[in-house]
Amino acid sequence: MDKLWERAIILVDMNAFFASVEQLDRPELRGRPIGITNGAEGTCIITCSYEARAFGIRTGMRLREARERCAHFQVIPSRPGRYVAVSSAIMQALHNITPEVEVFSIDEAFLDVTGCQRLLGPPEQIARLVKQTVYEVSGLYCSVGVSGDKTTAKWAAKQQKPDGLTVVPPWQAAERLREVALTELCGIAKGIGSFLAERGIHRCGDMARLPVGELSRRFGNLGRRIWLMAQGMDPSPVETRIAAPKSIGHGKVMPPATTDREVILDFLDHMSFKVGARLRRHQMVAREFSIGLRADTGWLGGQYMLSVPGNDGGQIFRLCRLMVERHWRGEPVHQVQITASDPRPVDGQLELFAAEEGATGKGNAVMDAVNERFGEYTLTPARLLRRGGMHNVIAPAWRPTGHRKTV
Amino acid sequence: MKIRISREALLKPLQLVSGVVEKRQTMAILSNVLLHISQGKMVLTGTDLEVELTASILLEGMDDLDGEITLPARKFLDICKSLPDDAMLDIQIDEGRALIRSGKSRFNLTTLPASEFPATEKIAGAREYTVAQGQFLHLIEQTHFCMANQDVRYYLNGLLLELRDGGLRTVATDGHRLALCDVAADIVPADISQIIIPRKGVVELSRLLDDSDTPCNLQLNSGFLRITLGDVVFTSKLIDGRFPDYERVIPRGGDKIVVADKNILLHGLQRASILSNDKFRGVRLNLLPNLLRATVNNPEQEEAEEEIDVEYNGEELEIGFNVSYILDALNAIKQDQVRLVLIDSNSSCVIHGVDAEDARYVVMPMRL
Repeated sequence: MDKLWERAIILVDMNAFFASVEQLDRPELRGRPIGITNGAEGTCIITCSYEARAFGIRTGMRLREARERCAHFQVIPSRPGRYVAVSSAIMQALHNITPEVEVFSIDEAFLDVTGCQRLLGPPEQIARLVKQTVYEVSGLYCSVGVSGDKTTAKWAAKQQKPDGLTVVPPWQAAERLREVALTELCGIAKGIGSFLAERGIHRCGDMARLPVGELSRRFGNLGRRIWLMAQGMDPSPVETRIAAPKSIGHGKVMPPATTDREVILDFLDHMSFKVGARLRRHQMVAREFSIGLRADTGWLGGQYMLSVPGNDGGQIFRLCRLMVERHWRGEPVHQVQITASDPRPVDGQLELFAAEEGATGKGNAVMDAVNERFGEYTLTPARLLRRGGMHNVIAPAWRPTGHRKTV
Repeated sequence: MKIRISREALLKPLQLVSGVVEKRQTMAILSNVLLHISQGKMVLTGTDLEVELTASILLEGMDDLDGEITLPARKFLDICKSLPDDAMLDIQIDEGRALIRSGKSRFNLTTLPASEFPATEKIAGAREYTVAQGQFLHLIEQTHFCMANQDVRYYLNGLLLELRDGGLRTVATDGHRLALCDVAADIVPADISQIIIPRKGVVELSRLLDDSDTPCNLQLNSGFLRITLGDVVFTSKLIDGRFPDYERVIPRGGDKIVVADKNILLHGLQRASILSNDKFRGVRLNLLPNLLRATVNNPEQEEAEEEIDVEYNGEELEIGFNVSYILDALNAIKQDQVRLVLIDSNSSCVIHGVDAEDARYVVMPMRL
């Protein structure tokens, strides 16, 4: 048996994920240059197939420009629900290889397989198992990078695409990264990049020359991490715990130039309901809510506080009524947004002057249990029945696990 | 106008009034102290529009001086502090500048006209009472830590002072716990029986009062409280709100009575709390015959357990608390023995010194 790696990290990167799902589901699209847009109205490409990339078409490009580059370029509206389903299936299958999976985005995951080497073999063999597993569960190809730390594994995965497998043993990491531009590494953006460039540090191999104190004085722990990253020693662990959300919010675009008070209140009511439900799903409460209406001149609204931290949609909606009362003067508005800005876990502390809880809390618990089992809006306050048929939009930061459970 | 004064005479009163001046101010005048000179006296005033403090200093041999001006509080104080102990200051006010000379030092400070300084409030139709300073200090010290901080229920961000027949009572609560303290005093309440002193006023007052029998004079109406302590006058706006009905949340008839040595209980809980969750500070208490077991754990799966000998012969009970609330109460209690009165794991607990019910603490449990 080969010697065990002290740490073995695998990064799985789905190739052109949304486009690949479309090509998988619709065989007639296979081998063709296609691009995905955000719903039917989207004008920007959010992903495109490798065939399209051959024409120089890239993510973020406008449709018009893409068509100029490739006359038979085909546009496909995104189907977030389908991508979520595929992603969730893949992530679940990866958990069968090791429980130490960090879902990094909808189409990327880190696996810490340090502890699986005796069971599953050398890291390269585990990486093949990962690729095979992903293919079996989804029919899709992925690129995989293997190394002793997250940064090198992520860099390695980028080296061969699509359907690549790149192994960088930890003892070779510093050497392999030596000539790599620092800004190619994940997490080193322009700001830090130019700070380093001013000091003559452009490639990973230059980093060892710079005293670590220079970076830590300016960037603190992040600086220390970057110093190690460049030398193939990124210490950051594969994070299987999901960090507590810093805020929980929902927003919605309304019909253009809405001036009907009832419609505005309906939208706010619906968003209050969603924010409340999501707080409860994570056993959280919040006290501060920023509530806004977007008008032509910018956002109307402000911060509103509950007297006692809560998670009931009705409670939040009462704050919304207050906001409309105070800030809305009949101007046309286009969008609503409600964000709980200080979500915190329910701490179980009982109140001396409790008035609200009780019946509401129990009602919500029953509603949540029913909706968890039979789907969103199975049980909902009657006043929300007016708001039907709203399509969900996928957010770029969406992950199949974590505090965003729905799209 | 020329004033001659010793550093020694100026420093302490200046420190006192500068205490209420907020460091960051939107109105420039509020960063200044007012110097009002007349009849051989200089009165210093600092305010933040909520709390105002004045202190007067005798100016010997300057009976015919008359005038007023404001100086930047912080800089004026720092200058005084940094001069040698026995320094004399000569302050000369001319054309909007204040020239301070002492020994070989000179400072030229900007001033603002006294007319811009918010005038001291007249307290119309005030009721007057007299209490010993030490008693008032006791009322504050026993309760102030339970005040809320930046709560939307703004009436909780202060201390309730209740005038009762033959006594004064203070109550503070943040909605999770409550502190109540009574002292006997020669009080006959009139039309106003409850006032809420804002948090900042309470903090300033506790700095001013000392633990003595020296009487202090209270003047109050529905908007203000003024307390005169010799040369120092404290004035605070009151919080215009209704304090919740606190009597309703003081539990009665608890049958589970624990008597403990305060220090043993305090130290045991302090040790256990080291491993409590930084945010929630939860502690699980198990009441067993003559034993209180405190267990604590945190998200890192660390655990602490303390067994504390107590007098207890009631039913077994398990109940959770924010350990900080219990520690705060124990720290405030002056007696060596404390009594905890409980009902069940969802009801509040009353804590007080044995044979001393003048200060009582009510703590709501946590569900753990």
